[in-house]
Amino acid sequence: MMSDRLIKIQLPIILTAIIGLLMIVEHFIPMPQTVTNANVTIRSFNTIVSAGALILGVVILSISHLRTIMNRRGSWYYSIIYIVALVITAIFGFISIRDENFLFIYDNMTAPIGAALYSLTAFYITSAAYRVFRARNWSATTLLVSAFIVLAMLIPVGAIILPPVVPIGEWLRSYPSSAGFRGMIVGTSLGIIGLGVRVFSGRQKEHLGLRVEKQGES
Amino acid sequence: MSIIDRLLNIDSRIIYLLLFLALAFPILYPVVLPMEVQQYSLTAFEFVDDIPDGSYVLFDGGNTAATYPQGGPGMIVNIVHLLRKNCKVVIFSTSVECVPFNQQAIDDALEKLSSDVSAENGVNWVNLGYIGGGGESAVAAFVNDIRSVLEADYFGTPINDLPIMEGVNDASDFAAVMWWGGSQGSIPWGIRQIVEPFGVPMTGQCTTNEVPNYSPYISSGQLQGLIGGVRGSAEYEYLLNLPGPALGQAMATNFGGLLWMIAVVLGNAFYLIKRARGEE
Amino acid sequence: MNAEILGLLVGSIVSIGAYSVLIGDNPISRVTEHLYTGILAGYILTTNWDYINRNAVSRLSQGNFIYIIPIILSLMLLGRLTPKYIWIFRYPIALTVGAGLGLAIRTTVVADLLGQIKATILPLNSINNIVMIIGTLTAIAYFLWSTKYEGTYAQVNKVGRFFLLIAFGVTYGQTVSFRFELVIGRLVAMLDPRIAIYTYIFIAVAAIILAIGYRTGKIPWYTGR
Repeated sequence: MMSDRLIKIQLPIILTAIIGLLMIVEHFIPMPQTVTNANVTIRSFNTIVSAGALILGVVILSISHLRTIMNRRGSWYYSIIYIVALVITAIFGFISIRDENFLFIYDNMTAPIGAALYSLTAFYITSAAYRVFRARNWSATTLLVSAFIVLAMLIPVGAIILPPVVPIGEWLRSYPSSAGFRGMIVGTSLGIIGLGVRVFSGRQKEHLGLRVEKQGES
Repeated sequence: MSIIDRLLNIDSRIIYLLLFLALAFPILYPVVLPMEVQQYSLTAFEFVDDIPDGSYVLFDGGNTAATYPQGGPGMIVNIVHLLRKNCKVVIFSTSVECVPFNQQAIDDALEKLSSDVSAENGVNWVNLGYIGGGGESAVAAFVNDIRSVLEADYFGTPINDLPIMEGVNDASDFAAVMWWGGSQGSIPWGIRQIVEPFGVPMTGQCTTNEVPNYSPYISSGQLQGLIGGVRGSAEYEYLLNLPGPALGQAMATNFGGLLWMIAVVLGNAFYLIKRARGEE
Repeated sequence: MNAEILGLLVGSIVSIGAYSVLIGDNPISRVTEHLYTGILAGYILTTNWDYINRNAVSRLSQGNFIYIIPIILSLMLLGRLTPKYIWIFRYPIALTVGAGLGLAIRTTVVADLLGQIKATILPLNSINNIVMIIGTLTAIAYFLWSTKYEGTYAQVNKVGRFFLLIAFGVTYGQTVSFRFELVIGRLVAMLDPRIAIYTYIFIAVAAIILAIGYRTGKIPWYTGR
């Protein structure tokens, strides 16, 4: 049981900490060439494993769709479209990632759909601006006025209708907004350091999927 | 239900349709208005212009299908700008989706060059393609040792067979960085992994929504200007005197922006009327 | 018909399919979405496979045997698929998380923390500098949740919140413009003079299909949006 816990939980945590600390220490303290070479190799391995993780994501999604088809769950026929699209694209991609048909499918199908889906928010934003965006209190008014001035600054006609928005908008963006974001950057930076301390010390284990295992064990 | 209530509860699909028409109209019937160049774009342009001729420049291409219409025209003009200065441009990407668009930008830039400008693949420019896994750790691996993560360029030519890559293996071999981040939020990766450790100056591009996020880096001097969205691309085209599609797109935001502003004003006006009546 | 025009036509059809979701969830938009995820999945699969092939498998075949390690680690990722063997998946994750966090921490300390704090040390000789200093300090203070929200700290917190709201407002204004640019980018391709007439025809066809679907009740009509 001890060695079970060691292999399944403790060793991965220790490995995370060793690799992370190696990366950090190398940056601040001169290290022997062996350590530097090891770090270069680790980073190289990391890119390969990360590519593998992306492939894993595709595998998991595809298994989900296949299960939907096999169990005839919900609108399972749409999953057939997913599988057919995946297979056809993959066939051309495995021939070559620079294959003409492969690039045609990506450039003229995925790319436009992705752009269109990504742009849907424009419509929701405009509808929300009319229905929901209200100057109810000083917080909302600050947000509203800043947004209004900056959008007016960005659209060429805004500068013609309301000329003062250009210098005011540039000032808002360069100074008060910049100060606010600087505070967020510092806060985020402290958060990353705090996260690193928690992960390397083993106090945070979610990245290792421990909750999933607990449910499986019971 | 009062008229104001009816107007406030109008079907959202009518607003969607109005927006569609507002955005489509200037595409079909272009309206060109004078446009001032923003300070961030001017700073970025001057930074590129001041790069010594013949220098090595590292170029991250991060525009995807969604953001290429905005960032692509600027990328093309930037590549033209660098090749005209005889700079050696080394292009890479941290996302698989961006790679075809990077090559498309290079191809379009090459078409815009005059015949006296040298622009040979592997000599004046190279597209190293995608670094596996993406993300900041891929950037860190790449800029510390290029050959540890890439064996060949986008076309499969071994790196060691490319004249442009002779003696070049990490970020210290470059004089400047162009970070066309699109909407990836990746500009801080370049600042953290290249600007600070190696001291190589950098400018960048991002989508319009991300410009405020990076303004602290501009005011701290870690980022030399920023080209924001389609307007930034249009300004770059204007500054390099190379007209392109970005200006038309920048102008097309006029009617959509006006519609949004009217929606906000009307919505709040109705709200204030209802509040004065004691209904809110 | 050349490849470019065919490409624009195909792009126009699928874009109309994607935008049809604005009317309400319908079969055309569902087909488009599943087509999108399928093609994108195929693209991600093959390009990352190609990367692993070029940078691990080919190095291995050239005699660099250490590259068997990342290949084994990549295979170990499959442990994620079953609860019984999920512990196998933890080893490659230990590598990616450890390396990723380490690389982020080592540079964020200098670039983000020290770099931004250094940039805030400004002479108090202009309104802009004063605004930057006060704004930065109060915005940082806003994120310190270990102090009670009362007295002086409450006032500092309020000022910090004001600067953060300006930042969010500026971002919101920029985001609105960005979203419009996305739509414009698509519309420019769909309304390209060479294919604009076909776009109108596709829109009409989609409208007719949806109208028939709504009239016959085969497609649910969403109200009250």
